[in-house]
Amino acid sequence: MIQLKSRLTVIDNSGALVAECIKVLRNARWAEVGDEIVVAVKKARPISDKTSASLSAAKIRKGDVRRAVVVRTKKEIRRPDGRYVRFDDNACVLLNNQQQPLGSRILGLVAAELRFKNWVKIVSLAPRVV
Amino acid sequence: MKIELCNLSGYKIYPANGRTFVSKDSKTFHFLNSKCESLFHQKKNARDLAWTPICRKIARKGISEEVAKKRTRRTVKYNRAVVGASWEAINARRTEKPELRAAARAEAVSKAKEKRKGEAAKKKVARANAPQGEKFNKNQPRAATKVSRSGR
Repeated sequence: MIQLKSRLTVIDNSGALVAECIKVLRNARWAEVGDEIVVAVKKARPISDKTSASLSAAKIRKGDVRRAVVVRTKKEIRRPDGRYVRFDDNACVLLNNQQQPLGSRILGLVAAELRFKNWVKIVSLAPRVV
Repeated sequence: MKIELCNLSGYKIYPANGRTFVSKDSKTFHFLNSKCESLFHQKKNARDLAWTPICRKIARKGISEEVAKKRTRRTVKYNRAVVGASWEAINARRTEKPELRAAARAEAVSKAKEKRKGEAAKKKVARANAPQGEKFNKNQPRAATKVSRSGR
């Protein structure tokens, strides 16, 4: 249940740490796992000239507006077998305009709903899917 | 469908029941109901909650019935001698074969018969040799001895 002003942890290695939702790209108020949102980066890792060469092309700075996909929510998700799963935090992965992840690695686990919403690349990058 | 076990209480969680919680350090916890979930978040230890099977096991509740069932009493047979017959004599009689017993019995019977015959013969001889006058006279007057019927 991510909405305007919701803060999410960024769990890829794009450089951003905390992002704030500014738009839910769905004709709904809330975004759930697997929904795309527009975020403003609120906290980012400091970028030095040395590390910039090894990182991916995009340099994420504080204040950047990017697209992201929600991968974990504190609000429980209903599974087909009737079970509910909920995580301890809200998390997202930053995307570029072609809906590809910005970072090259994902740190932490993601919800299995991503697979059914066709975020295959993220699922394959994730170390663990719950 | 995997039947999970509740992380707090230890009960079985069947499909469509319970909730799963994934913590920040990626550990998965399964809860049977909101009671267990709430207690978990309060950081309660299952060993301190008296109603959980874990606590009951530690306090050894509900085990006494099982233990009582398992104990079966067995009667021990003792070989006892009786006054007048030692154990060996009893055992000998018990293990005696029926043919032997019959033979012994027949022998005893024949012996007894012989003995009786012998005694009868002796009596006859004694009677023949007794003096004449001592023959019993039926017509003799009876002695005045009264034998009361009541037997006093």
